[in-house]
Amino acid sequence: MTLTTMFLKMGEGFGKTCAIFFLTLLFSLPLGMLVALLRMSRNRLVSALTRGVISILRGTPLMLQLLAVTYGPYYLFGISVSRNKLIPVVTAFAINYAAYFAEIYRGGIESMPVGQYEAAQVLGYTRKQTFLRIILPQVIKRILPSVTNEVVTLVKDTSMAFTVSYQEMFTIGKQIANSQTSFIPFLVAGLFYYVFNLLVDFAMGRVEKRLSYYR
Amino acid sequence: MKKLLEINHSRKSFGDLEVLKDISLSVEESQVLSIIGPSGSGKSTLLRCATLLETLDGGELIYDGVHAARDEGGRAVYAPPAELRKVRNMFGLVFQNFNLFPHYSVLKNVMEAPILVQKRDRKEVEEEARDLLAQMGLADRADAYPFQLSGGQQQRVSIARALAMNPKVLFFDEPTSALDPELTGDILRVIRALAEKKMTMVIVTHEMAFARDVSDYVVFMNEGVIVEQGDPREVIDHPTQERTIQFLRRLTEG
Amino acid sequence: MKKILAWMLAAMMVLGCGAAMADTFVHGIDPEYDPFSYMGPDGEYTGFDVEIARAACEVAGLDYEIFPVNWDTKEVQLDAHECDVIWSGMTIKQSMIDAGYVISAPYYDSTQVLVVRADSDIKSSADLAGKIVAVQLGTSGEDLLHGELADLTATFQELVTTENFLTAFTNLEGNAVDAVFVDLPVADKYAKEHDTVTILDEELGKEQYGLLFRAEDQELCAKIEAAVQTLVENGTYAEIAAKYPSIENNLLFLQAK
Repeated sequence: MTLTTMFLKMGEGFGKTCAIFFLTLLFSLPLGMLVALLRMSRNRLVSALTRGVISILRGTPLMLQLLAVTYGPYYLFGISVSRNKLIPVVTAFAINYAAYFAEIYRGGIESMPVGQYEAAQVLGYTRKQTFLRIILPQVIKRILPSVTNEVVTLVKDTSMAFTVSYQEMFTIGKQIANSQTSFIPFLVAGLFYYVFNLLVDFAMGRVEKRLSYYR
Repeated sequence: MKKLLEINHSRKSFGDLEVLKDISLSVEESQVLSIIGPSGSGKSTLLRCATLLETLDGGELIYDGVHAARDEGGRAVYAPPAELRKVRNMFGLVFQNFNLFPHYSVLKNVMEAPILVQKRDRKEVEEEARDLLAQMGLADRADAYPFQLSGGQQQRVSIARALAMNPKVLFFDEPTSALDPELTGDILRVIRALAEKKMTMVIVTHEMAFARDVSDYVVFMNEGVIVEQGDPREVIDHPTQERTIQFLRRLTEG
Repeated sequence: MKKILAWMLAAMMVLGCGAAMADTFVHGIDPEYDPFSYMGPDGEYTGFDVEIARAACEVAGLDYEIFPVNWDTKEVQLDAHECDVIWSGMTIKQSMIDAGYVISAPYYDSTQVLVVRADSDIKSSADLAGKIVAVQLGTSGEDLLHGELADLTATFQELVTTENFLTAFTNLEGNAVDAVFVDLPVADKYAKEHDTVTILDEELGKEQYGLLFRAEDQELCAKIEAAVQTLVENGTYAEIAAKYPSIENNLLFLQAK
């Protein structure tokens, strides 16, 4: 196999890796906020249920969750599985990452001094205004380093999609390595991931810098 | 004189601890009322109940004739949220720890609530906000962020923020106790200037000299009850109650 | 007789269900099982099983599509209709029969062998006591070591499972393991390309390869078997097999001839 073919083939896989990455972030970041709010709900039942779900999602392997989301509907309801795996893969990733983001959000929100809520309340802000204008922007700044960590982990976790035979980059890389009895595809894959993570670091660094105007 | 604030027979407990035991007081228009007393006397709780940060167990809370809470069979029953919003609009509160919004510039800290909550015109609000900051000696710090200011400057911004809402009553919760002693003078000067402009104020403070100097009326609280009240010169210079005498002696000795 | 029956079946199916003719036959493969199914130099999947399946579909009048499965979950993927067959150097296991799957007649006899470093003093499985042995995760070799050959496994210092056979061989060459337990054809191909290793002349556990269909796909299985028989008869099968010398000798249909 020529290097060009290898790069083309792995580039194709990289497109799918990117699809998992961006779609997962797109859904899990807001979903995590919803989960965090449910987790902090004053309704004990809602809060306990959410805590249970988070505990399961964080306490079981992502690989297992991928299988459950992909094949669960078939075994439970006889719904055929589409051979386009992007939907179940992104669903499983988004749910799993939402659980992690939810705990990060919750930590951030609970670390906010109560004085910020009280100041807003006395000034007549509604609960929604207080959250969106006063609390959330400060929480985002506080949790950014933890979120960056998760995002970097996500880049590497995308390779987990091979479990349900979604042909992302690492899966393709393994296939090439196998047929060529060569480790070069793994090096190439490593390079792709590393460069990707450099970009992630750079982007998150930019965001952190933009938020560094206050302390 | 019109009564702007009335608190009648207020009661509040935290668990088994009774913090407010049947406290009543009223504040008239343009009056400056100081609440003094040892820590744990209930003075901060009284202020937090008056500013709706805590709810009373029993008693009445009336702002300028509007009932925030009325007494029904010994229990305090609060007005519906819409009514409480109106009540919140009548007072302002300056916190001990300022509680400025760190992600907003000084100007935005002062401007946002009038625009967002009172739906006032941005241009008009900005003009007024800059004017208030000038009065506080902070005209050139409008674009700074709170972390760039000293404690005294931050406290002056928070006073400007409260004043921007045009409150009928302005509360101060120990406004100088988080500041270095040399910075307290600034804040006291600002409060004195407000008193001269006939601002109605309720001040919880440790500064006896200041309380005597600026207030029209002093309330001394201990263990959830009002022990002594009246003209500041009377209460502070010639206390009649044993507890008040002890407290004031400890302050002057300490 | 069997052949005639198969033909009749195929004919019946063609006549019986015309709609089925336009059906797509989705071929589930292990994309990392050289030489049966793997990614070719052009980046397309190929291999002995892929070529035969493609040709068989042409004979049977089915549209052919290829689908790489995750070997650990191949049964699940077959059940869930992601593919219509698992046909990829797959060892027939009793558990598959017990689970009710339809399994084709075996077409390949695979034997497990031991690969050691060329300069190794290991001459037979008896020398493995106290040694480290590697096997690929999820292969029939692994099953064998945990099942039939468990007594042998007990003598090892350690049994290492690797993600793929390439890692196993790299570990061997790097002195991290002392022997690799692997399918004969895989061992053959690797040993031909790398004179650093050698295959021990000892066959451990025989196994056979077949096609795996869903329980309800009896007819499809018969149709494919018939098509493959056609290929055997018209020589196409042997022609394709000639391209894969490392497995040619183990193909049952060619031996029968």
